[in-house]
Amino acid sequence: MNRLLNWFRLRRLDSDLERELNYHIDRRVGDLMERGLPEQQACRAATLELGGVTQVREEVRDVWLTRWLRDFAYDLRFSARSFFRSPSFTATVVLSLALGIGATTAIYSLLDQVVRRALPVPEPERLVLIDWKGDRATVNAFGSYNLMSYPICRDLQLQEQFFDGVLCRAAMSVSLSTGEEYSMTAAEIVSGTYFSALGVNPALGRLLTADDDQAPGASPVVVLSYDFWKTQLGSTADVVGRKVLVNQHPMTVVGVAAQTFRGVDVGEVPALWIPAAMSAQAIPGFDQMLSPRTHWMQILGRLRPGVTLAQAQAGLQPWFKAMLDEDTRREGFPNITPERRQRYLASTLELTPAPQGHSPLRRRLSQPLWVLFAATAVLLGLACLNVAGLFLARGSARGREISTRLALGASRGRIGRQLLADSVLLALAGGSLGILLAPLAMGALLAFLPRDAAANALQSAIDTRLLLFALLVSVATGLLSGFAPALEAGRGSLISSLGQRVGAGTGGLRLRKAIVTAQMALTLILVIGAALFVRTLAGLMAKGPGFDTSSLISFGVHPLRNGYTASESTRLVNRIHDEIRASSSVKASALARIQLLTGGTWNGSITIQASQRTTTDREVHLNAVSPEFFATLGAGILAGRAFDERDSLLEGEGGQRVAIVNEAFVKRYLGGQSPLGARIAPGSGPDVTPDVEIIGVVSNISYRGVREDWEQAYFPLDSGEAFYEGANFYVRVHGTSEAGFQSIRTILRGADPTLPINYLRTLDEQVNRSLNTERMLAALSGSFGTLALLLSLVGLYGVMSFVVTQRTREIGIRLALGATRLAAVWLVLRDALLMIALGIAIALPSVWALGRLVESQLYEIEATDPATIAVATLILCLATLGAALIPARRASAVNPTEALRFE
Amino acid sequence: MPSPRFPIPQGTLDMLILQILSLEPAHGYGIAQRLEQISRSVVQVNQGSLYPALHRLEQKAWLKSEWKQSETGREAKFYSLTSSGRKQLKVEKDSWARLTGAVQLVFDEGN
Repeated sequence: MNRLLNWFRLRRLDSDLERELNYHIDRRVGDLMERGLPEQQACRAATLELGGVTQVREEVRDVWLTRWLRDFAYDLRFSARSFFRSPSFTATVVLSLALGIGATTAIYSLLDQVVRRALPVPEPERLVLIDWKGDRATVNAFGSYNLMSYPICRDLQLQEQFFDGVLCRAAMSVSLSTGEEYSMTAAEIVSGTYFSALGVNPALGRLLTADDDQAPGASPVVVLSYDFWKTQLGSTADVVGRKVLVNQHPMTVVGVAAQTFRGVDVGEVPALWIPAAMSAQAIPGFDQMLSPRTHWMQILGRLRPGVTLAQAQAGLQPWFKAMLDEDTRREGFPNITPERRQRYLASTLELTPAPQGHSPLRRRLSQPLWVLFAATAVLLGLACLNVAGLFLARGSARGREISTRLALGASRGRIGRQLLADSVLLALAGGSLGILLAPLAMGALLAFLPRDAAANALQSAIDTRLLLFALLVSVATGLLSGFAPALEAGRGSLISSLGQRVGAGTGGLRLRKAIVTAQMALTLILVIGAALFVRTLAGLMAKGPGFDTSSLISFGVHPLRNGYTASESTRLVNRIHDEIRASSSVKASALARIQLLTGGTWNGSITIQASQRTTTDREVHLNAVSPEFFATLGAGILAGRAFDERDSLLEGEGGQRVAIVNEAFVKRYLGGQSPLGARIAPGSGPDVTPDVEIIGVVSNISYRGVREDWEQAYFPLDSGEAFYEGANFYVRVHGTSEAGFQSIRTILRGADPTLPINYLRTLDEQVNRSLNTERMLAALSGSFGTLALLLSLVGLYGVMSFVVTQRTREIGIRLALGATRLAAVWLVLRDALLMIALGIAIALPSVWALGRLVESQLYEIEATDPATIAVATLILCLATLGAALIPARRASAVNPTEALRFE
Repeated sequence: MPSPRFPIPQGTLDMLILQILSLEPAHGYGIAQRLEQISRSVVQVNQGSLYPALHRLEQKAWLKSEWKQSETGREAKFYSLTSSGRKQLKVEKDSWARLTGAVQLVFDEGN
């Protein structure tokens, strides 16, 4: 350790030593002169006694650094000089490594941020997610995943023998105003225990406590995030005590959370935290906070020290069973069949480790990111192989130099160290370049993610852990690729290599061929992967959402979040809708309760009364739409009719209850029967009366995403719809979408200039957004495949050129003896073909084995799709044969007389 | 004309340095002079190996050093024994005593 430190203080140690030795000599000279020696002689004697000042200095320096390290530094210097002498070799190696390391680092940093990083709270490993496992019977659920009710969280807070704290939270966007402007802002609705259970400290003021979460509506307070306070409020110190408007309700800022803390969801960073007691204000029209049958929050708990997850899980079951049992006797418990009740009562509480908090983004991205990380690891492996191959080539070119050094008495270890120095130096150069490339690659990566998450939550900056990772990878790469050539250098026999003629000798040829074969195999795996993902994306793009997206625009507003009452909200939305339809640039316009293609749905079970009564075996995706909806989208009505104005009337006013289902619904539940006239109703219990008539069948259109054709049922928006989830407009315009945006903005400004627009975009963009992950996989795996192909072409070309140079004499003799030029080409190509064939033979079983890892990311294509594999293999064969052909042609152009006179 | 001197046995230089410094802190030149005096010019100490030895001992934390004014008024690097150096000296003295005792025993046997 001391010695390592000495590296850094070498200069000071040196000057100290010089002073020390000067003192010695001066004193000695003084003493000797006192004895009568003349000064010059005294000087000489003093220096001689020491045995030379330089020598002493060198020896002392050896003590500081140890000889090995110091010599290694000389090796590095020597390597650097020799690299500058062969710039093309150096550039190829450094670029290969930089690409490999840059890609690995970029993917790793995203993976680390999204999947691996623990929350910045004390002892995050004690956090667990508490979820319901089993049949929840019929509950009212909204939100992402792992949803639970608020009362369960309150009950769990009493389980102090297992937990140091239990919190619940729900991600929600609210309309927030800190001054004049309103904007939709990400918020987290949390229990009062949230901050104390996590162990977060305030940066300013105080955080929420259990006192802020007692009576509903009684504590209008919020805590701001540090980032929001800094960027939106300019870090003003007097923010505590200030009033902000949340959905038009005044609330007081009581504090700012610690700078590092950004909520528990990496994909949705909140700007503020609102106590659950204020959920009625934060979520317009919501009054179900205290209902045990409304599941809308995730529950996280902090285990007591010493309590294991298994102990807590087992210990909580008796309480949970009792709660389930009590629940079935509670008023309002749904009427369900006895076997359903049995399943409900068999539910358990499931605890899973949650040091990283809870994030739907993680759930969506972790598999694609691991796939990509595996691909970059393969790419890095390829780069290493390439570098190793190049080193071997260089090693054989330097064979005579090395043999000479061995002959002059250099130890094999000494030579190996020199080669090691070469590779470490190159790896560091490649690593540094890779680190420079990584942020660029990260930036490109983030472009594939949902824009809001990319903008708020994920950073393309390199942190120290990432830097460490990159350096580790690059040095490991250097050691790996230095290893083989170093061994090779130590092995060859002295006499034979000194006696070698130019251009002869094995030069590790067998090893190099093995390397190229491995490269072929890895490349083919990557190319096949790329082909699968590209075909998946192409398939989804070709499928489309099932309706015409050209010149179709959508936007959303949420009047209830901006101080409107339910009836005012209805009026405003209708007024906007009327004005849009009246606009000259609009062809058609429609309204929907739930936005399409966002990954979210409104869903529920449906009871069907056709020739017999059935209940859907999985939840159907539901939506409520205005009469023009299908016509505006251009979705075909396959049977029956679309909704008309009369369907929107309330029952009392002469309306009747009707529904439209999609093709998939008919296929799954009404196969063979005429769907028209069948009756359905939401819900699954025996008391549900199916009294809604199916009046039409619509073609499959994408709802949650392009990928799936799920069963859907549509209901008409009734005339009194208050748009609790916000109103979503679908507008088909004449002319450009830009002009359409312009007129929509004008209309909205006229209706209410303070009303924020939640989103305004073309349906093309919406489709693109919903295919983000697929596009990321296709684009990245495609570029990795291309890079891999390039790397292995370089490798193959290098080896084949070497082979040709090496066999020039042999080829010359063969040609002189009457062999044809074609035979010469074949002589070389045969080698290449063998390597390619072996590579393919290795790759195909691996593809088969790896296939299941990516299966879930593919669309309508098997991981072992023969056509895809055939095309990828063909691409590899053509490209590599092309690379091999260049040296092969050179072989055929050998001039026999010159070849025989080669030396 | 000094009597013929034999070179200092391998490994004993460190011990001698520790012994000299156990009496009082000294700078390199001082140690060299003391070595010269103590050994009565019987043992030949190559002064060139003195400084690497000092730095080696310092690296092992048996010695510590500081720059102080010397008897001539000039700043010199003074070495002194650390507590682990003191322990090491005792260990080396013991093993030296055992070694010479054993050698003596062998010689006595021969008489």
